[in-house]
Amino acid sequence: MNSLRSLRPLWLLALLLAAAGAEAAEEYSFDASEFEKKPFEIGGYLQLKQEGFALNRGSAFYRLNTIGQPQRESLDRSTGTLELIGKLRAGTGTFDFHTHSDLQRDPLAHDHNNTLYEAAYSARPDPGLTLEAGKRTLRWGKGYAWNPIGFVERPKDPNDPELSREGLVMANADLIFNREGPLRTIAFTPVLLPVGRDVNSDFGAAGHLNPAGKLYLLYRDTDIDFAWQAKGSRPGRFGVDFARNITSNFEIHGEWARVSRFPKPVTDAAGRVTTEVSDATSYLLGVRYLTESDTTYIAEVYRNGTGYTDVQSRQFYQLVDAAFAQLQETGSGTLLQRALSLGQGGYGRPTAGTDYLYLRAQQKDALGVVYLQAAVTAMMNVRDRSYQVTPELLYTGVKNLDLRMRLFLLQGGAATDFGEKQYSRKLEFYVRYYF
Amino acid sequence: MKKLLWLLLYLAAMPAAAIDGAQILQKVDRNLEPESYESYRKLIDIQPDGSRKESVLYTMKKGREKIVALFLAPQSDKGRVTLRLADNMWLYIPDVGRAIRVTSLQSVTGSVFNNADILRIDYTAEYDMAEAEEQKDAYLLSLKAKTGDVAYDRLKMWVDKKLLLPVTIEAYAASGMLLKTLHFKDVKDFGGGIRRPATLETDSPLYKGYKSVMLWSGLKKAGYPDEIFTLNYLPRVQELRK
Repeated sequence: MNSLRSLRPLWLLALLLAAAGAEAAEEYSFDASEFEKKPFEIGGYLQLKQEGFALNRGSAFYRLNTIGQPQRESLDRSTGTLELIGKLRAGTGTFDFHTHSDLQRDPLAHDHNNTLYEAAYSARPDPGLTLEAGKRTLRWGKGYAWNPIGFVERPKDPNDPELSREGLVMANADLIFNREGPLRTIAFTPVLLPVGRDVNSDFGAAGHLNPAGKLYLLYRDTDIDFAWQAKGSRPGRFGVDFARNITSNFEIHGEWARVSRFPKPVTDAAGRVTTEVSDATSYLLGVRYLTESDTTYIAEVYRNGTGYTDVQSRQFYQLVDAAFAQLQETGSGTLLQRALSLGQGGYGRPTAGTDYLYLRAQQKDALGVVYLQAAVTAMMNVRDRSYQVTPELLYTGVKNLDLRMRLFLLQGGAATDFGEKQYSRKLEFYVRYYF
Repeated sequence: MKKLLWLLLYLAAMPAAAIDGAQILQKVDRNLEPESYESYRKLIDIQPDGSRKESVLYTMKKGREKIVALFLAPQSDKGRVTLRLADNMWLYIPDVGRAIRVTSLQSVTGSVFNNADILRIDYTAEYDMAEAEEQKDAYLLSLKAKTGDVAYDRLKMWVDKKLLLPVTIEAYAASGMLLKTLHFKDVKDFGGGIRRPATLETDSPLYKGYKSVMLWSGLKKAGYPDEIFTLNYLPRVQELRK
C-alpha cells in the first residue's frame, strides 16, 4: 500500500505527460478530408450595428431629410443584418446566390429590407471560357474608394468600399487566354445588360439591351483594363485602368473614363433647373505603400467629371434655404419639392463634388495587440476644403468574429460638401459573426 | 615535379569543388514538391498567451512560378484567393469582388507567415547560389535574391545531406537583419514518391513570443490549365477542387 502511495506522484506525472503528449499530438493534427468540396454550401454572416449620430441641424441635408419630423440633436440607430451566401454545384455548372436582409430601428422609423444581391448560373465548358446569366455584381476598376470605370455596377460607398453590393441582371462571359512573353494574359468579359420596367430599372432608360465589355491585359507585370459601355439606357462611355507594383511594397494604380454627352441637371438658387449635356471625364490616381512596420498607406486623387462644381453646389444649398424660406413665408412647398427631388438625385450622392482627396493609414497589430487593426481615413473635397476624418479600430482575434468601431468627424462651413451633410459626427460599432 | 605538385593540390581541392550548390537547390525544390501539384495546408498562429488562430488553404501550383491558394477556413476568410505569377501577387476578397495587388511582405492571414511564405514558388526561381558549404550532416547553402522584389534578400538554408530536404532556413533582409527562421519537421511519405516535411514552424525576432506553424496534407502531383492562374478566374478557383 505504501509503495503504491509513493508511486502516486509518478502516476500524476505520467498522467500529466500523457495529457501533454495528447495535447502535443493534437496540436499539429490536420486531416484535409473534412474540407472536401460539397455539392451544396451555405454560409454568410450576421451583423449587429449600433450608430449614434450628432445631427447637423443647420445643414441642407438634415433639413431636407427631416421635413415634418420632430427636430432633434442626436439620433441612435440599431441595425441587424443577415447575409446568406450559397452555392449549388451540378456538372460543369454552378448556381450561386447572395441575399441581404436588414432590420433598422431608430426613433424616427422602423424599416426592413430584403434584397437579392446575386443569383446566377455559371457554366464552364472550358477553363478558358465561362458563361453566366442571372443577377451578378461585377466590379471594374482599380481604385480603392472610387471606380470611374465601374460602368455596369451600382456605385461604391467610399465610406465603406469593401461592403457587398446589389448586382444587376445580366448575361456575361469570360474568355481567358494565357501565353508566354511580355503579354502574359488576355481576358475579355462581354456583358449584356437589359433594362426594363421591372429589370435593372434604376440603371437607366427602359427598353434597351445594353452591351458592355472589358478587356484585361497583364503586360510586363502591369494590370491594364480597357472598359466600354455602349449608348443605350445610359450615355455611352469608355475608359482604361492600370495597376502596377513599382517595388514589392509600393503599388500605383489609376483609372480614366469618358462619358459621352452626359446629362446633368443643374439648378440655380431660384430653383430653375437646366440639363447641361457635355462629355464628362473622370479619373483617379492612387498609391498604396507598405512600411517595414506594417503600416499601409493608401492615397487617391479623384476627379469626378459628372460631379457638381463648387458654384453649382453652392446654388443648390441656396435653393434649399430659399425653399424653406418660401415654405415659412407663403406656405408653398413648390421649391421644397424641387430641392428634395434634386437632393435625392445627383446632389445627394456621398461624394457629389468634382475633386476629392482620399488618404488612409492602417496599422496591423496596433498597440502591440495581434489582430487589432487601427486606421485613420480622411476624405476631402479639395474645392471647398471641407473634409471628413474617420478613426477606426478593427479586431479579428476571435474566430469568425469581427468587431469594428469607427468615428466619423465631419468638418466644413456653410455651403460646403461635408458641412451640409445630415450629421457632423457619427459613432458606429458593429459585431459581425461569420457562419 | 612542380606540375605533379600542382596536380596533387588540384586533386586535393576536388571534393570541396564538387559541391554543386545550384544542383542541390534544384533537388531541394523537387523533393519539397513536384513542379505542379495540389495540396491542403493548415496555418496555425500561436500567440504568447497560447491562444490560436487557424486557417486552411487549398493550393494549386503549376511550373516554377504560378501558384494560387484558396482559403477554406475560417468562415470569415472563406473564398479568399491569393494568386502569384512570378513577382506579381493579388488577393481576391469575395465581398470586394475584385483582385487587389498585394506585396510579398504582407500577410493575408495576419500570421508570422507572409504572402511570400504562403505563395512560395521554387527557390531556384527566386534565388541565386552565393555559396555552398559542406558540414557534417548538412549542406549550408547561402542564397541571394535575384531581384529586389523578393521578400527576403538572403537565405541561409541547411539541407539534410541524405534526404536533400531543408532542415532550417534563416531569412534575412537586405540590411542583414534576421527576419525569421523556418524549421522543417516531421518528414512524411505523401505517396506518389513524395516524401517531405509535413510541418513547418516559424518564429521571428520581429514577433517575439509568437509562433506560426504550417501543416501539409493531400500533397500530390496535378496538372492545371494556365487559364486558372489569372485574375478573371479567381472567383471560380474553388470549383476546381475535386
